[in-house]
Order: sequence, then C-alpha cells, then structure tokens
Amino acid sequence: MLAFQKYQLEFTAHIRNPAANKKPAKVKDSRMAVYREIVFNNIFGSVSTCFPVCKSILGALAWKKLVREFFAQHQATTPIFREIPQQFLQFIKTTKNLPDYFEQLAHYEWVELAVASQPTAPKKLSKKMDLLNETPVLAPAHMLLEYDYTVHKISKKHLPKTQEKTFLLVFRNAENQVKFIELNPMTFELLKLIDENGMSGEQALIILAEHIKHPDTDAIIQFGAEILADLAKQGAIIGSQSHTTDYAS
Amino acid sequence: MSVIADIKGVGLGLKRELIPQIQRLFNDSSISNIKFVEIAPENWIGAGGKAAADLAWFVERYPIVCHGLCLSLGGPDPLNVAFLKQVKTFLSTNKIPLYTEHLSFCSDMQHGKAGYLYDLLPIPFTEEAVKYVANRIKQTQDILGQRIAVENASFYVAAPISTMDELTFIKAVLDEADCDLHLDINNIYVNSVNFGFDAHAFLRGIPHERIVYSHIAGHLQVEADLLVDTHGESIIDPVWTLLEDAYQLFGVFPTLLERDTNIPPLTELLPEINKIAEIQSANALKRGSVAQYPCASQAISI
Repeated sequence: MLAFQKYQLEFTAHIRNPAANKKPAKVKDSRMAVYREIVFNNIFGSVSTCFPVCKSILGALAWKKLVREFFAQHQATTPIFREIPQQFLQFIKTTKNLPDYFEQLAHYEWVELAVASQPTAPKKLSKKMDLLNETPVLAPAHMLLEYDYTVHKISKKHLPKTQEKTFLLVFRNAENQVKFIELNPMTFELLKLIDENGMSGEQALIILAEHIKHPDTDAIIQFGAEILADLAKQGAIIGSQSHTTDYAS
Repeated sequence: MSVIADIKGVGLGLKRELIPQIQRLFNDSSISNIKFVEIAPENWIGAGGKAAADLAWFVERYPIVCHGLCLSLGGPDPLNVAFLKQVKTFLSTNKIPLYTEHLSFCSDMQHGKAGYLYDLLPIPFTEEAVKYVANRIKQTQDILGQRIAVENASFYVAAPISTMDELTFIKAVLDEADCDLHLDINNIYVNSVNFGFDAHAFLRGIPHERIVYSHIAGHLQVEADLLVDTHGESIIDPVWTLLEDAYQLFGVFPTLLERDTNIPPLTELLPEINKIAEIQSANALKRGSVAQYPCASQAISI
C-alpha cells in the first residue's frame, strides 16, 4: 500500500467510526468534524427517506444508532445512490437485536422505491385482450411478494404480535405511480403461474383447481376470469399475449 | 445535440425538483439562457419509470453533460470497471458527449473489502498520488474511449503528508493523465478561505487550455475561515468576481450553476443564470472574440 493510501484509510476509518478509530495524526479536529458530519448525514438522509416506518418504530435515537452501525460496518458495493437502501437491507440481515418482523418490514418499505425505478422493456401485446386463452401480461414493473407478517399494516401503533402470511402485488401503472394490491393465496399462486411460467389464464386456473382438489373446474375458471379482469381494470394487468412457453416439457 | 461543441453558454444542474418547472417553462423566453443541463450518472443509470421518461424528455431537448460523483479517481480500492462500462453505455444511449469527475475519492477498503462513502474526500497531494490518480484517469479514458475532464474539488482538511500545494497537484495530474479540466470557480474560492491562499493568484496558475466548462455555486460560511461547499446558497460577490476574472484571463467558457440543497423555485435561480449569461456576453464583447483553444468550439459561449 502506498503511503498516501494509508492516510486515506485512517481518514475514512475515523469518519466511519470516530469512537473506535483515531483521526489521522496532525489533522485539525474541527475540520475533521465537517467530514464526520456531512458524510454520515448524507447516508443517514438517504436511508431514512426510504424507511420511515422502520425509523418511527425504533425511535429517533435507536434508528440513528442503527444507521451509524451500518455506516461503520457495511462496505457498500454500489456507486448508484438509489441502491443505498438495498445495501441497508443487506446489512440488517446480519444485525442482531432487531424485532423479528423488522427485516420484512424494511423490505416492504424498499419495494416502493424499487418498483418506482425498475427499468422495463416494452411488452408485445395482442390486439385484443384475452386473459383466459392467452397469457395475461402484468405491468412491466412489478413484484409478487410473500411476507410472514402483515407488513403493509405495521406502524408504531400496530406492531405485529404473530406471524400472518401476506401476499402482495406491487406494480407501476401507466402513470408511473406505484400501486399495492393485497392478494389472497389463490390469486398469488395464479399470478405466479402466469408470470413465471407464461401460462394462459385458463391453464393456470386448471392447475390451481387440481392443486386444491376443487370438484368444479369450470367454476374456478369463471371465478379466476373475474379476478384477472379486475386486475386489468386496476392497471396491474396491461393486456395479453399468445403463450409460447412450452411449460409442459 | 451530441457533440461537445453543443455544451455552451449557461448550464443548470438538473435536480429532480427543477424538472417539472423546466418542462413547464420550456420554450418560454424566461429560461432561454439555460443552454445545457448536467446530471450525475449515479442518479440515473438503470432507472426506469418516471426518471427514464424525464431523462428521455431532456435528451431530446437539451445537450447533457454527465458529472460523476462516485468514480473515486483517488480511491484506494480498484477502479470500478463494471460501473465505468455502465457509464459508457449510458453516455452513448443518451447521446451525452461529456463525462467529468472529481479530483477526490469516495470509497475505501476496510477489512479487505471495498466500500463507498458517497461523498467527496480529499486526496493528499503527493508525487505517488499524482501518478496513481493520473493512471486511473488514463484507465478511465481507455475504457470509455473518450477524454474526460476532472474537477478541482473543495475540501476542509489539509493532509499533513502533502508534499505540494493544490495547484501543483492539479497541474501535475492533468499533465500526466493528459485529460481536460472541469474548473469549479466556487471550489477555488472555498479552498482559498479554508486554507488561506489568494484565489485570484490560484486562478492565474490554472492550465486554462484544458478547461471544458466551469461550475459556479453558493456555499455556507460556518466560521470566518471555514466555508462548506453546500451548493445551497446564493453565489456571493467574490465568487462572481472570480468568474469574471477567469473570463477576462482565459476567454469565455461554458458555465453551469449548481444548486443541490435548499433548492428554491426555478424562478429564483433565474437571476443567477441570467447573470452568468450577462458576464459571458460582456466579456466576449470586450475581447472581441473567444480565446483560441485547441478545441475552440468548446469555448464558444454565446
């Protein structure tokens, strides 16, 4: 290591954790204070903006301490500012003494940012939407999410006492707004079959009927068709395309 | 709108808050002095949705410059080549002719792992650092397949291990790397107060033939001898004087207003934008012609 790099590392080690690491020799403390403040505040702002509920649950002091630990301990690997909150998610995975639901709550809070900025490519759609015979196409920016807690209902006043499976579809609509729809387990499975396996609406519904051993497949198809139509109405499904995926093989 | 010659006149740093206002006033004569805009690639690479739509709007209407923040030219960790390749694609996709970065570092190595700190930290001014930074600039130019410009950075701590002054360091790096200069007028002033030197004397030593464009901004006075480069205040008179001095010394070059914090409505930034344009006109007329640079088209402003 070159001599100036040794100095640089002392410099940053001190900024990251002033309590544990001395400032480089012979530098003015009042000037180091500027860096101690501005560098942390920049990261603190970026993380706090993304996780308001996490912040309010922990309280201002504990939150600041957590972000301080993040800054001190986590070597962020991305130069992209938007991805700083994702780095924070990685960090809290390894952090002890946080509430059980905390990691999933933080993930849920991050999802809004992630879907808002998710890059997309234009989708080829059939001229006429046919959600049963063709593959329904979800809004290009979306996430199908499964949580163990009712993450969308958590607040300082409503902390989860027990686990409760929660399924969400988060998508960006044509106006670039991020929308959240809570799904029942059936609809979640239906959308997974369509989205991940490229099945037509009808094929996915037949498989679902088999899964739950429902005696009346036609009733399930009719019920499913209504759900898909409703999702289209909400802008979560933007059309359909002929399914080319040979999922049977 | 895809060559460096299109970067001229007055520019404005493109902050999210300002986007809808510029879009609303586009074609309105009140903002006609804004001739180009500047973005940080770290804010825009890989972004879809509203950001992508906004970027596309500007690509069609304004020449754009990329002014990076996180390349960490002076950083102790390896240059992020994967990121530079993303920058290269981003520049070509959006027809952006120019990429500039800071003479600073924003990453480190702790426990054997590289990590970003997302802020501009001062490089000690040593011979080793000159060679090291110049090599990384050359590597950057090789990967991008184009020249870059580096900006004189503001800072608050003088490294006791420095063996030369800032101006000597800047000149040595530019020579060694053979790259261009992104001259920050406000940073000269901020450093002159923070480290007690004569800003105008410093300016006279600048290798002006390498200037592609300049920055001007406001800062925060924390103490009599400490200015923090917040880009959150109005530009003060000594900084205006320094800009004027630079135009008189070197000829008029494109100049961009940076406002990154405490952002007022666009209409309140227009007086500063218009003032830059006025100083440019006045000095272009005074000289009768613009300075002759190796790439003269880069220096024409009005």
